[in-house]
Amino acid sequence: MSGGTPVIVLNQNTKREQGRKVQLTNIQSAKTVADVIRTCLGPQAMLKMLMDPMGGIVMTNDGNAILREITVQHPAAKSMIEIARTQDEEVGDGTTSVIILAGEILAVSTAFLEQSIHPTIIITAYRQALEDMLEMASSRYSVDVDTNDTDKMHELIRTCLGTRVHTQWNQVACRIALDAVRTVHKERGSDGQAQEIDIKRYARIEKIPGGSIEDSCVLDGIMINKDVVHPQMRRRIANPRIVLLDCDLEYKKGESQTNVEIRQEEDFTRLLQLEEEYIKTVCQAVLAVKPDLVITEKGVSDLAQHYLVKAGVSVLRRLRRTDQWRVARAIGATICRNPKACTIVLRGPSKDILNEMDRSLNDALNVARNIVLKPKLCPGGGAFEMAIAHAVSEKGKALTTVHQGPYRALAAALEVIPRTLIQNCGANVIRTLTALRAKHAGTEPEDWMWGVDGETGKLRHMKADGIWEPLSVKNQVLKTATETAILLLRIDDIVSGTKKGGVEGAAAAAKAAANEAAQPAAGGDE
Amino acid sequence: SAMAGNANTSNLLMVSGERLTGESVRHQNVVAAASIANIVKTSLGPVGLDKMLVDDVGDVTITNDGATILKLLEVEHPAAKILVELAQLQDEEVGDGTTSVVLVAAELLKNAEELMSLKIHPTTIISGYRLACREAVKFINERLVISVDDLARDNIVNAAKTSMSSKIIGCDAELFAAMAVDAAMAVRVADGKGGHRYPIKAVNVLKAHGGSTRDSVLINGYALNCTVGSVQMPKRITNAKIACLDFSLQKSKMKLGVQLVIETPEQLELMRARESDLTKERVQKIMASGANVILTTGSIDDLCMKYFVEAGAMAVRRCKKIDLKRIAKATGGQFVVSMTNLEGEESFDASLLGQAECVAQERISDDELIVIRGPKARSAASIVLRGANDFYCDEMERSVHDALCVVKRVLEGRQLVPGGGAVEVALNIYLENYATSLASREQMAIAEFARALLCVPKQLAVNAAQDSTELLAQLRARHNASQVKKDCAAYKWFGLDLQEGKVRDNKEAGVLEPAVSKIKSLKFATEAAITILRIDDQIKLTPEAPPSHGGH
Repeated sequence: MSGGTPVIVLNQNTKREQGRKVQLTNIQSAKTVADVIRTCLGPQAMLKMLMDPMGGIVMTNDGNAILREITVQHPAAKSMIEIARTQDEEVGDGTTSVIILAGEILAVSTAFLEQSIHPTIIITAYRQALEDMLEMASSRYSVDVDTNDTDKMHELIRTCLGTRVHTQWNQVACRIALDAVRTVHKERGSDGQAQEIDIKRYARIEKIPGGSIEDSCVLDGIMINKDVVHPQMRRRIANPRIVLLDCDLEYKKGESQTNVEIRQEEDFTRLLQLEEEYIKTVCQAVLAVKPDLVITEKGVSDLAQHYLVKAGVSVLRRLRRTDQWRVARAIGATICRNPKACTIVLRGPSKDILNEMDRSLNDALNVARNIVLKPKLCPGGGAFEMAIAHAVSEKGKALTTVHQGPYRALAAALEVIPRTLIQNCGANVIRTLTALRAKHAGTEPEDWMWGVDGETGKLRHMKADGIWEPLSVKNQVLKTATETAILLLRIDDIVSGTKKGGVEGAAAAAKAAANEAAQPAAGGDE
Repeated sequence: SAMAGNANTSNLLMVSGERLTGESVRHQNVVAAASIANIVKTSLGPVGLDKMLVDDVGDVTITNDGATILKLLEVEHPAAKILVELAQLQDEEVGDGTTSVVLVAAELLKNAEELMSLKIHPTTIISGYRLACREAVKFINERLVISVDDLARDNIVNAAKTSMSSKIIGCDAELFAAMAVDAAMAVRVADGKGGHRYPIKAVNVLKAHGGSTRDSVLINGYALNCTVGSVQMPKRITNAKIACLDFSLQKSKMKLGVQLVIETPEQLELMRARESDLTKERVQKIMASGANVILTTGSIDDLCMKYFVEAGAMAVRRCKKIDLKRIAKATGGQFVVSMTNLEGEESFDASLLGQAECVAQERISDDELIVIRGPKARSAASIVLRGANDFYCDEMERSVHDALCVVKRVLEGRQLVPGGGAVEVALNIYLENYATSLASREQMAIAEFARALLCVPKQLAVNAAQDSTELLAQLRARHNASQVKKDCAAYKWFGLDLQEGKVRDNKEAGVLEPAVSKIKSLKFATEAAITILRIDDQIKLTPEAPPSHGGH
């Protein structure tokens, strides 16, 4: 053997980490992400002030909004941040919980890895536990709700908004959210269309600075932040006939490049005339259907305005396409009686406050949507997590295989939610949590509804106080958090700096080549 | 003084470069192959773990698939590159077993080096390996295959489950295996010779993050990740006649640099009218052929959209080309690139249209998708995968792809072999006996080939943190008995049970793999090893230095 000559197989820029070390650093970085937003959970949540490189400021306690702004290096941390996005898109709430829970699940896994229990065993146990938890959640630890009960629904949405800044704004937001969701709710159609509540598309939030927060409301219809194009047009029309246009009322040049060579003066006038005639015919075509209001997505030329004013028609121009859809859906080509789309007008003293209101209203809208779509509720304040943790842990006792440890550990990880709630309001964590556990071990049928009051840190009966959360959010939290933990636990090797060297790689290669070229020359001299 | 040697050779070559010969190049190649095998070996088997690959930009891939891992690594050594290509080949040809093929090839090389250190010539080793490979394939075909002529669904599902057991969806293998089998069955087409083909490419796999793994669904029909062009269009069309186009329906315009000079103002008007008419005529021709669903890769401008809306047709723009090609195939239509025929005239024939029972825009999971159900020529299937985040979904897609490949192999090859190292150990025993019966130089090479095969069960056991020596001994004893004693024949199905750390009848336990993939991977591994073994000289030219450095 020639001995010492190293064989270079991989590109030398590649870094590789393996085994236990990888697993532990993954867990560590996931925990770090969880720690960043740990204080954002519950009614005593603190805001974070984030400054981007441009100096812009975001103030929020919304988990997803925070994570979206911060940049992380470690790949596992990136994975964590992605799940907040998933959660946000899927149910629009519980982003903080999902991160905290995923971090905790990984943290409890450390003990097993250190005992040299194989990750696949931990994973199998987690998956089994997840199935059992979901099953228990829908069969035992949730209650049905009547979506037609307006007071109850308001109550419900309010608990979800408990953590947001303006408590006085709660009342308003609940009312708005419910109204809006009911407006855009479309029942299961006869043509097989599933029931849908498309908030993003059909409920628009318009922010108008000024006024007080209480002035915010849901408009029974569409508000378009535009003025009529001509001052003489009518600004109020009762029972209007509306024409929606997707084209412009302007003369449009041809697509091909055209040069016109004009020899006589008359030809020039004729050209202009042609343009005018074109507009006139278009306007006449529009006017033929006798509208009171014309809304177009594109422009309207002065001349067209003139014709339309003369006919007593009001015109709105340059609307966004999404607004057009909303208008089309709301008026349904008939007179606007029972709209299926709406606009929410938010009022508030400053732009920053309006933005924060916008974010929290979005949460409220999502809560309302989730409940209407899946009318099942579970108690808030950590009661649900505590109940599931207790039940799963009990069930785990019956397991005889190695899976028992991780199975019950997942249950224990769920306690992180009530624990963080207690921490955030500054109560005695151990004492309160023990008391809560004792309550859940009780035999009364509704003992599982005991949770933590996130403001005082005292125990409260969630049903008695009416603190509820939608089950679909909780389910999604459990699913996403567990699956992320599984994903990260399965990794035993990180290779970084792979593929496509890019500019840097090319530069390094050139440098290496130059060195090599120099070396034989040096060797020859010897 | 290796340095001095290198300098000498480069002088002899007349070009600047490096030359390695004989033992040193062989040794280097073997080391390189072994290090490649080292990278992927922990991902083998049901208890194998995943790798996280991070590229320069910071994009993350998490995977268990050998081919994907190697593809993303920047491998420099030429011999190592051969192994990377080997994994790629296995992925294309078989779709599964990419990790084990690399392991076997590297092990073959390692054993060959030992033989060479005993002064056995590489050509002898090569012919021994060839012979061994041939015998092994024969043995598998004659003795180890389980025929699935009756095509019991259980067997196929089990094979898919075996493939998935090592993947992230291993815990939900039950669900996904059934899904893969249903999807493969859905795209079945007759091959004209009484059999069937299963073009699994026709299974469209879509990903959407959110929900949980178990929320993934199989859709009976081809799902397109697009929405209808205009909200005014119908969301559902039955008895659809589908036109798949590869051009935009926009106002036509002259190509670059052409200027129209017109004399009178009226001509301007004419020109504009002609511009819109050209497209209008096209649309009219398409509509005249009876089409009521128009799918195009390009865009459709507002004007054309209006024509379609008025005609009550559904038009979808910006579809993916690959999707349209598949749809055209499934619906019996054609993917139309241009409407111009040989005479330079534009026409659109009804025979270009594909047909389907129903095309509808549906809400699946959280996305609006266009689903084409009941296509005329052959059926289609789509799988929508759900997962915690994008990395998760990507890895699920790779796993499902592997499983689909396995199902296809099983259905087409109709032969299965037991998994869990059973085949490798059986071959090991058989080849060792065979080698002993051979009175030629190849004997040792064949024995080494036999020994190399054991690396797969050994690694399986090591990954599961089980006692590999003990398990292998038990397994070999069982297989030896099955081959020498008549009444012990059933022992040949024995393989490893990695959860329990025992040996068991893997045929009964349902751990099955398609025979064709085992045979192919054996052949590929042998060929790759031979290719590398034949090398005894390596010349690496120094890249030419940039001009500024030249001229001493």
